[in-house]
Amino acid sequence: MNPPLPPLSRIALISLLAASTIPWNAVSQQKPAFGPLLKNAPAAPAAAAEPVVDIPPPESVQTDISEISLDAIVRVEVDTKQPNYRVPWNVGGMGSGNGTGFLVGPNRFLTNAHVVSDTRLIYIKKVNDPKPYKARVVNVAHDCDLALLELESDIDFETGFKGVQPLFIGGTPKLNTTVIVVGYPIGGERISVTRGVVSRIDFRAYSHSGVDNHLAIQIDAAINPGNSGGPVLQNNQVVGVAFQGYSGNVAQNTGYMIPVPVIERFLKDVEDGNYDHYVDMATSVISILNPAQRRALALPNDGIGVMVAEADAAGSAGGVLKTKDVLLSIDGHPIASDGFIEIEGERVDLNEIIERKFAGDTVNLEIWRDEKREEITITLKRFIPYLIQSEQYDRLPNFVLFAGLQFQPLDRSMMVAHNISELSTRYFYSYYGPDEIYRERPQVIVLTDVLPDSTNTHLQTFIHRVVDSINGKKITLLQDVYDALHGDLHEDGREAYHVVRLVGEERPLVLKRKDAAVAHERIKSQYNVGFDHFIEVPEIIKEEGLIKPLEPDAAPAEKKDEPAADAAPKDKAA
Amino acid sequence: MFFQKLSFPAFLVALLFCVTPVPCSAQQKAAPEKSIIRVNATLQDYSFLRPWEKGAPTPRRGLGAVLKGNRVLITAEMCVNSTFVELEHPSNGARVPARIAGIDYEANLAVLEPAEANSKVFEGLEALEIDESVVAGDTLNVWQVEDNGDGVSTDVEVLRVDVGRYYIPGSVFLLYQVKGSLQARVNSFTLPVVKNGKLVGMLLSYSSKEQTAGVLPAPVINTFLADLDDGDYQGFPNLGISIAQTLDETLREFSGIDKVEGGIFVRELAKDGSADKAGILKGDVILSINGQPIDARGNYSHPKYGKLSFSHLVRGGAKVGDKIKLEIVRDAKPMTIDVELTRKLPEDHLIDPYMFDRGPKYVIFGGLIFQELTLPYLESWGEEWTTRAPFKLVHANAEPHAYEEEGREKLVFLSSVLKTPSTLGYEAVNSVIVTKVNGTFIKNIKDLAKAFAEVPGDGLHTIEFDEYPKVIYVDDRASRLVNQQLIQYGIGLLERLE
Repeated sequence: MNPPLPPLSRIALISLLAASTIPWNAVSQQKPAFGPLLKNAPAAPAAAAEPVVDIPPPESVQTDISEISLDAIVRVEVDTKQPNYRVPWNVGGMGSGNGTGFLVGPNRFLTNAHVVSDTRLIYIKKVNDPKPYKARVVNVAHDCDLALLELESDIDFETGFKGVQPLFIGGTPKLNTTVIVVGYPIGGERISVTRGVVSRIDFRAYSHSGVDNHLAIQIDAAINPGNSGGPVLQNNQVVGVAFQGYSGNVAQNTGYMIPVPVIERFLKDVEDGNYDHYVDMATSVISILNPAQRRALALPNDGIGVMVAEADAAGSAGGVLKTKDVLLSIDGHPIASDGFIEIEGERVDLNEIIERKFAGDTVNLEIWRDEKREEITITLKRFIPYLIQSEQYDRLPNFVLFAGLQFQPLDRSMMVAHNISELSTRYFYSYYGPDEIYRERPQVIVLTDVLPDSTNTHLQTFIHRVVDSINGKKITLLQDVYDALHGDLHEDGREAYHVVRLVGEERPLVLKRKDAAVAHERIKSQYNVGFDHFIEVPEIIKEEGLIKPLEPDAAPAEKKDEPAADAAPKDKAA
Repeated sequence: MFFQKLSFPAFLVALLFCVTPVPCSAQQKAAPEKSIIRVNATLQDYSFLRPWEKGAPTPRRGLGAVLKGNRVLITAEMCVNSTFVELEHPSNGARVPARIAGIDYEANLAVLEPAEANSKVFEGLEALEIDESVVAGDTLNVWQVEDNGDGVSTDVEVLRVDVGRYYIPGSVFLLYQVKGSLQARVNSFTLPVVKNGKLVGMLLSYSSKEQTAGVLPAPVINTFLADLDDGDYQGFPNLGISIAQTLDETLREFSGIDKVEGGIFVRELAKDGSADKAGILKGDVILSINGQPIDARGNYSHPKYGKLSFSHLVRGGAKVGDKIKLEIVRDAKPMTIDVELTRKLPEDHLIDPYMFDRGPKYVIFGGLIFQELTLPYLESWGEEWTTRAPFKLVHANAEPHAYEEEGREKLVFLSSVLKTPSTLGYEAVNSVIVTKVNGTFIKNIKDLAKAFAEVPGDGLHTIEFDEYPKVIYVDDRASRLVNQQLIQYGIGLLERLE
């Protein structure tokens, strides 16, 4: 329910995978997310400001971990392969890294998704055993940065982990109670134990996907690259999974762990063998703190309710919730005018109700519409369009290369790899969801590069723009690009040419058909292109009702597709 | 110079004494101090983030060229957003406040006149004649003046005559590119450039690293002065197109221009610009203007300067109201189109491309700060404004058509929200485009001010936006109370509508 994240927003959080390919310092060039630290700042301002929070004395929790079998906390070593979105036919960079994992059931190890993302090989090592056990991913949830691993060989597990007790998943720790972080961070090879207190429990961005926010717990124990996926313990129980932190030049002593509600949700979701992802209301709301707002909506002055600003049409509440609806309660929890509800004695964001639900679950809302109370029920589903701004993992970059023209679907990885600043393309990226661009273009295809050749040498200035049509075919999927260029499609009376039309650019990109075929082979060998396309069906078109029905087999359209809008007149003259 | 402290008659004598014995050398080595005048301006830019404020006053000192009738030519940049301009005699130091008799920020030229009578300011100074004869290879003199009033003349060589940007992005004119080594001196902001004692241009910019400079040339100065002298300043016309080159043989074949020479491809048309009004369409290929063939790069052959951008055919001498003849190819068929040249004023754009000598238009209501979007507002986000300024607004500037089609004259947006009792809960809202206030579509800031002036029956104003948070409400009485407090707090003006 948060407003959409700004495009390419830099996330100050860094994942804690100790990857040898990514120097620790290099990951953290972001500006601090917080203002300058005051020298005389009180030691615990949060606690001082909120006396209502019940802060138990630290002694009340058991910090001893003698009941924990250290053999259950394993080192996860991975060999990685980073996809190359800049040169998509290349294999990509090889590297290695390590994180931490822990046994949660028979041959089931929990770790972070980012530890095992884009990996070729995974090995699990015990603390006192030199043997690496080959492992694989059973389930991975990139949206909440969790993964389940298993040893490939059951015999390995039976012999290597004989008598090792899985760790027990506990509850949510209280503020200012001591927690113990165990793992394999940088600074040595052997297992490491650090200790700190629970500093804050709040919704936070999960940096692995770049677009998800969930409950996270901030702790002040030293957690460092390599701690990722390791258990955070209290009273000999797991109270979290260490997963991200700030680099030292941003904030001191702030590490984050994934709390138990998120862990339990993940474990429950994968019980059927599949991970079904988080669901989302895809609805933005604004608090109702202003008396004028309350009067305008004819609401009683009881401090209850938030106003719907927008419900994304493709989201769970699309077509159900409308601008100016007021949400009064969610599953029976009254919603305060700042968007908070009370669950189990804690004030939390109303999204926490949705957070704990699964695809297909319903949520009951009491709303205020046209000065009347109404009860509505919403069936929850994923909000797919936001994935365009999400980090992608365990995928090969999709692309089509033709006569040196490189086409790729718009997504975060592509935008970053090509460092695209073209305004019209940034518009498609930022407003793909809000402006429902996906209805017309489930995939936005960008001309990301032109590999120079005599046939295309005048086309290089047109890179980074969105493709509107090719040979008369409207381009709404990467597959369209391939089909339009590998058949008889042509613009009316233009049999001899391939014609690529860009959004907001009147000048067509034209190749001679007979030259293009020859050039294609020449360019492939010249530029060491192993394969010239890789196309997958995007998830979004699997979702029913999202996309306008396509006209039956788009015949070569009229000669000219009128581009919708136009771009910055860069070389405006006269 | 020793005679600097001498009284007026003595000075005159001394000067005559200097000049008379060697008249011919004086002719060749014209004395800078005789025809230039110091211009001291105080500039104060308007604030765009706090539109009720102006920034810190800054001094700017340059040199003007003395023209006949005690007029002084300077660049417009020299006195942009000026609060006070004065003329100062180069050596005797006499000063007089000046007024701007004419200014054109696109052509970057201004004419100053003394606002009061002070004969000492022009004492002994001679008007410069203007000479358009410069060609590449000429040696020109850049005139400067020392603190003590001595003239300094530095030789520069004309590398080429070109078309380039002056001051306003996207606005290009004829330019002499020169090379030479110049020293920084006081009053160095703009400098007259002469040849054989006649004014040939004004120095615009100097790169000390490259030792090159751009000179605003005499032909543009003459056009500007002629336009000014007829009493009805029209400015330089604009065709209002953006083009692509047609070097690509495949494109030429495809567009049916492979049998002809040259031509430029029309990519973009400014709404209601000269070309748009004359019926030029996107995709047309312009082959010639007034019979001058245009090559595939967009240049034509100028009799004196060689290859020059086609834009000079519009800007170099043509006036607003003139008709030019365009030979074009449309759908592979040749056509001729007459274009009446017009000039699109900055305020005629949805988003003003520049704005000087007046502040941004705004309305503050109960702590909500509304403005009309201008390019200077976006630029106030700093060097990297295209990535730092709010994206929706940056995008609107690049692609205004959709907003123009909605019938908007200006783009009114809520730039930020001051935390007040009236705006409680809205503090985080900023940079959103306003669509309606109390049900009225907002075409410009005056519409908005009018809408707030009419109090709805329930005393609540409804403000709608095109995106999050879509709609907010404020109480009329609470807002007006806040307005009073804001005035006490020091915000002098709650609106600027003109």
